Amino acid sequence: MADKLPSEFDVVVIGTGLPESIIAAACSRSGQSVLHVDSRSYYGGNWASFSFSGLLSWIKEYQEENNGEEWTAWQELILETEEGVALRKKDQTIQHVEVICYASQDSDEHVEEVGAVQKNPGSVTSASTNDPPDSMVTACSDTSELTTPLSEPEAAREVPDVDVTLGNENHGGDTDCSQSPLEQEKAGNLPVGEDVVDAPKKNRITYSQIVKEGRRFNIDLTSKLLYSRGLLIDLLIKSNVSRYAEFKNVTRILGYQEGNVLQVPCSRADVFNSKKLTMVEKRMLMKFLTFCLDYEQQPDEYKAYEECTFSEYLKTQKLTPNLQHFVLHSIAMTSEESTSTLDGLRETQNFLRCLGRYGNTPFLFPLYGQGELPQCFCRMCAVFGGTYCLSHAVQCLVVDKESGKCKAIIDHFGQRISAKYFIVEDSYLTEKTCSNVTYRQISRAVLITDQSVLKADSDQQISILTVPPVEPGSEAVRVVELCSSTMTCMKGTYLVHLTCPSSKKTAREDLESVVQKLFTPYAEAELENEELKKPNLLWALYFNMRDSSDISRECYNDLPSNVYVCCGPDGFLGNKNAVKQTGMYSCSMSSFWNSALPCAYKPTSGTTSSPKPSLILIFLLKFSQNTLDPSDTLLRNVFSRVLDLNSLSSATEMLWLFPPYLFSQGQHNSLHNRCLIKNC
Amino acid sequence: MSMEDYDFLFKIVLIGNAGVGKTCLVRRFTQGLFPPGQGATIGVDFMIKTVEINGEKVKLQIWDTAGQERFRSITQSYYRSANALILTYDITCEESFRCLPEWLREIEQYASNKVITVLVGNKIDLAERREVSQQRAEEFSEAQDMYYLETSAKESDNVEKLFLDLACRLISEARQNTLVNNVASPLPGEGKSISYLTCCNFN
Ligand SMILES: Cc1cc2nc3c(=O)[nH]c(=O)nc-3n(C[C@H](O)[C@H](O)[C@H](O)COP(=O)(O)OP(=O)(O)OC[C@H]3O[C@@H](n4cnc5c(N)ncnc54)[C@H](O)[C@@H]3O)c2cc1C
Ligand SMILES: Nc1nc2c(ncn2[C@@H]2O[C@H](COP(=O)(O)OP(=O)(O)O)[C@@H](O)[C@H]2O)c(=O)[nH]1
Ligand SMILES: [Mg+2]
Repeated sequence: MADKLPSEFDVVVIGTGLPESIIAAACSRSGQSVLHVDSRSYYGGNWASFSFSGLLSWIKEYQEENNGEEWTAWQELILETEEGVALRKKDQTIQHVEVICYASQDSDEHVEEVGAVQKNPGSVTSASTNDPPDSMVTACSDTSELTTPLSEPEAAREVPDVDVTLGNENHGGDTDCSQSPLEQEKAGNLPVGEDVVDAPKKNRITYSQIVKEGRRFNIDLTSKLLYSRGLLIDLLIKSNVSRYAEFKNVTRILGYQEGNVLQVPCSRADVFNSKKLTMVEKRMLMKFLTFCLDYEQQPDEYKAYEECTFSEYLKTQKLTPNLQHFVLHSIAMTSEESTSTLDGLRETQNFLRCLGRYGNTPFLFPLYGQGELPQCFCRMCAVFGGTYCLSHAVQCLVVDKESGKCKAIIDHFGQRISAKYFIVEDSYLTEKTCSNVTYRQISRAVLITDQSVLKADSDQQISILTVPPVEPGSEAVRVVELCSSTMTCMKGTYLVHLTCPSSKKTAREDLESVVQKLFTPYAEAELENEELKKPNLLWALYFNMRDSSDISRECYNDLPSNVYVCCGPDGFLGNKNAVKQTGMYSCSMSSFWNSALPCAYKPTSGTTSSPKPSLILIFLLKFSQNTLDPSDTLLRNVFSRVLDLNSLSSATEMLWLFPPYLFSQGQHNSLHNRCLIKNC
Repeated sequence: MSMEDYDFLFKIVLIGNAGVGKTCLVRRFTQGLFPPGQGATIGVDFMIKTVEINGEKVKLQIWDTAGQERFRSITQSYYRSANALILTYDITCEESFRCLPEWLREIEQYASNKVITVLVGNKIDLAERREVSQQRAEEFSEAQDMYYLETSAKESDNVEKLFLDLACRLISEARQNTLVNNVASPLPGEGKSISYLTCCNFN
């Protein structure tokens, strides 16, 4: 395995989050040689998804004391004419990690995830991944204050045999026992009523079952959905990266009102079939939504309210308070206090336009979790020759004093790797580089529960629920509930993600009140009153994640001009920020390409000489980092036109349709044609 | 996509250390070529070959590692929805054989547990440089409950056999799990994924 890395590339990308991975794929696709490294042993950084044991190792890593260790060896390795910009040794983007286990724990049992292996976050930095899982839970930062894992001998006895997988238990002697995940996946896709699991009522799920079935979990650190007409979907289709992943449509939009979870009707059919709405309400809502679909055509309807907030505007419309609430929180998903009428209308329109493309809601969720997406772009990069190295840390960037440009990195082995461009994820930069940056924080909770927040005929529902702020000034909480057919949790459980901008000290303080509204801690769960019972909470994780989006480049100290920073995940539902910063928008500027940079992408006829993709790259990067000359009004104008929704669909086309001069013609033609056909 | 002419579609994925001949095996089978010592194949995601078995058209979608195995950085998504895995080592390279347990652990973690795994010892044309005996490999494959075959991508020994046998097994496996397994319902690997995302069905 002593394969050594080449010492020269066009581009070095540090970090495997979504934006970095998209850039890596784009660079590789347009002919750059790319080295893509991540200091962690897994793909995705804060965009990753983990199995249960993987997540426990991740938790453990962040609960360890940070000893403030820094790289130092590089100092011996740079010349007098050079300067080093050190990179961080240990990630600091995650804080206030708290774990609470509510499910019963059979303390005398030593359970391990089936097939658990070293390839999880703990394996590099922390000593052992094979500790009994219980100890990981109790290893959490302030144990004393936490609910101690509850032992419920009675519940434990109810579980017949821990060796049997949950699936088997539920099916009894059913032939479905032998289903592979693939078949289970299919079963999950079958229409309502075909679903085989209805066991949660009978069986209480224990902690050891969760651990044992841990491989079934793919738990996202960042909870996002894809807008079915959003940039990311567009990019996935255009780039053909979509073939590496599978998606499911979110099945329900839920709302929260007066302590109840309700389904929000949003498509035409939903509205008409809704039993919750009166005939009059149905007509009101349809009228309003129809208006929103092309509100620009009727400026008179909203002109007078442009200065108001969207919620004030809604009050002036013929909508009952009920409907106003749903439009504001569940359809536009906007804030009551700060969203302007225009933003609200635009969001409502966006929502409506996304409806019906793949299903009855505007959202898609990737099977096996959000963490698949960066990996898919990484594969694309690799397919076009990119070199991949996980568990590969970088000590520093080497800057040439005279030119002020970065010329190389020094990796953890002390190897010097030179390149022309460097893309670094924000979390790799040290405090020294970021001393002027103020980061916001995202509060996150991950819950494992035993029932859906809103029971329905089918237990395989994927739902998004917005819980409005409890008190003025606090934040709405976004809840995404995933069922087992999304391949993110074991059968008989639901994986629930909560996200909100952090306003209190810790994620738990921000989110626990919402958790308590929606769920019952497992211990308190009594078997009485099955119908009214809230879902039981089996396990909960809280943490804060740094939000490094929207930070202007000038905030970073001493950043050489050929070093570009990518931000981590933001707190929004969509992936717009991630895609946008990769400069994809700029690709739609076909007129610009044709007039100003023809040689940049047109291969010289007859030869295989490289068509200077570096020019394109400079442009993309500058563009995405807002460092283009501000006086360049031509560019600015084109850019603002790109934001028009109609042209968004073509926005990403250019980059992916660069003449694939790297293809040797005949052989890969069919692949290329497939790309083209897909773009129809 | 729906009109495509095949009875079965299977996704087959190759893994194993760099340099054992994975890309050559795929090339040999799909194109009948043995490319002379050439670096990573650029721009090729997977190769497709349709074979006929007992009158049925079987489309094999064969995925290569894209070089990510070199520094042990294969993406998990590579393993998802594979119907079969070809775990390859080089009979002239002890090291590539010793790494097999590591590969098996990855399979266990990321691949479907119903995946069919075949162990392949490649480069038997270099018999004089053999470092891994057939017996050792047989014992190992038996212990791991895998099929085992030795091949030469260079001489085209057993390459057809490898893929055709695999196709037969996949068919009979699919038949056993049947009910849902016909062209109408998306087969693994094909699925709702690509075709799903690209056809726009406006309501
Ligand atoms: C005040 C406000 C701020 C938001 N900020 C963000 C954010 O920073 N990151 C984020 O991911 N989501 C943000 N959202 C949500 C966002 O608008 C989308 O709902 C979501 O990001 C969809 O992303 P997409 O890539 O799937 O959709 P897209 O197809 O990219 O766009 C969805 C809608 O946003 C509009 N839009 C696109 N670019 C911009 C822009 N630069 N400025 C304003 N509107 C634009 C489009 O015209 C379209 O109507 C915000 C929403 C509001 C109301
Ligand atoms: N002699 C011999 N060489 C082979 C055979 N298969 C592959 N090779 C050589 O082994 C090297 C690596 O092959 P490649 O297919 O790229 O391996 P990969 O990294 O596993 O994809 C190349 O130099 C091939 O020419 C074989 O069957 N016999
Ligand atoms: Mg290869």
